[in-house]
Amino acid sequence: MVDVGMTLEMVEASQMGMKAIGAALAVGLTGIASGIAEMTVGSAAVGATAENRDVFGLVLLLTVIPETIVIFGLVVALLLLF
Amino acid sequence: MAGISGGLTTNYIYACTRMRVRRSRLIPREDYLRMLNMGLPEITRFIGDTYYRPEIDELGTSFSGIDLVEVALSWNLAKEYQSILELVPGDLKYFTASYLRRWDIQNIVTILRGKVQEARSGKIKEVLIPAGRLDKVALDRLLAEESPERVVEALKGESIYPILERELPGAMESGSFARLENELYKGYYAQLIADARAGIKGGKMFLRYVELEIDIRNIQNLFRLRVGRIHEDVRELMIPGGSFSIEELQRLSGLEDRDEFIDALKKQVKALPLLNALEAIRGKEHLHEIEVALTRVQLDQMERMSKRYPFTVLPVLVYLEEKKYEVANLRALARGKEANLPGERLQGYLVM
Repeated sequence: MVDVGMTLEMVEASQMGMKAIGAALAVGLTGIASGIAEMTVGSAAVGATAENRDVFGLVLLLTVIPETIVIFGLVVALLLLF
Repeated sequence: MAGISGGLTTNYIYACTRMRVRRSRLIPREDYLRMLNMGLPEITRFIGDTYYRPEIDELGTSFSGIDLVEVALSWNLAKEYQSILELVPGDLKYFTASYLRRWDIQNIVTILRGKVQEARSGKIKEVLIPAGRLDKVALDRLLAEESPERVVEALKGESIYPILERELPGAMESGSFARLENELYKGYYAQLIADARAGIKGGKMFLRYVELEIDIRNIQNLFRLRVGRIHEDVRELMIPGGSFSIEELQRLSGLEDRDEFIDALKKQVKALPLLNALEAIRGKEHLHEIEVALTRVQLDQMERMSKRYPFTVLPVLVYLEEKKYEVANLRALARGKEANLPGERLQGYLVM
């Protein structure tokens, strides 16, 4: 990426831009993955709760477990940026 | 997620989970064993403490004893099946409705038999289970008809009408509805296969269930025929569409020796659980034991398939079948206790 004609400022700006794109991808893609996982778990959770209300607390916990994926993505993004 | 489209995935997961939860609530084996040592009033009370409570409470003022149990079980089964039909989405509904048509056949044949024997409409109504396409209102309309011919006439437009129209005169003449019933069920299975092959998503899984059901039914029929010592032409009595051809079934029915028959059957069967069950059947004497063993294999096999393909029509069918046998078990228990049969004898008739 570094062109012979580029100044130091331009290189630094480019590196910063790449980091920002990496961070965005880390959060964005893991967010989508969490969404898909939660869709599946959530549908089953609603089905189970419709039949037996006592399991609501348990299935709520199970539904948010895929959130860890996006949290990992967020951590990676923060590490990239700071 | 085989056999489902992306947009409908969540609906399938939702419905299949509900079926699994309902299945987990079915009466377990231990409770059946406990009920075997109870009398009829205790069994009624026991059932009344489970999800049959609304029906037992509602019907408690109109019926008592064995009638209360029978009618409450029928009502519950019908209510449960209708609620499932409302709950399942899209293509699952199509296949579920297709499966539930067997109750229409049962109800229509019951009405026809009742009409021939000039039974009161109220009495016939007690034994109907409106779990199929024909609901309570439609069945009441049929019950109001005066003669079997009028009942059949009222069914014009239904898919089973051509068979009824063709077979009723013969049935009325001979006084036996056996052939009519056979033809209706053969038509039903042919329709199930046609529905499975109609190109609707998930049809492949439904077809696997239908083939399994036909195979088990044919094997059960072969054993029944052996007990009845009928070795003549059985082609008319077998259901086409399974993994056995009708000619093969005819050849199997011709085998005199029981061990030879089981060996020949085992050569045709590929599924290991069924092979094991056939080996176990070798030592069984009574027909009901053989039938229960084969039914158990069918349910286990369906359960295995439903776990392999969890978001298809299979979990729904597993629940529908197991619920059907639960009601049959409770009915057998209640009837057996009413007739003072010992618990050990009754146990042999239960699919646990």
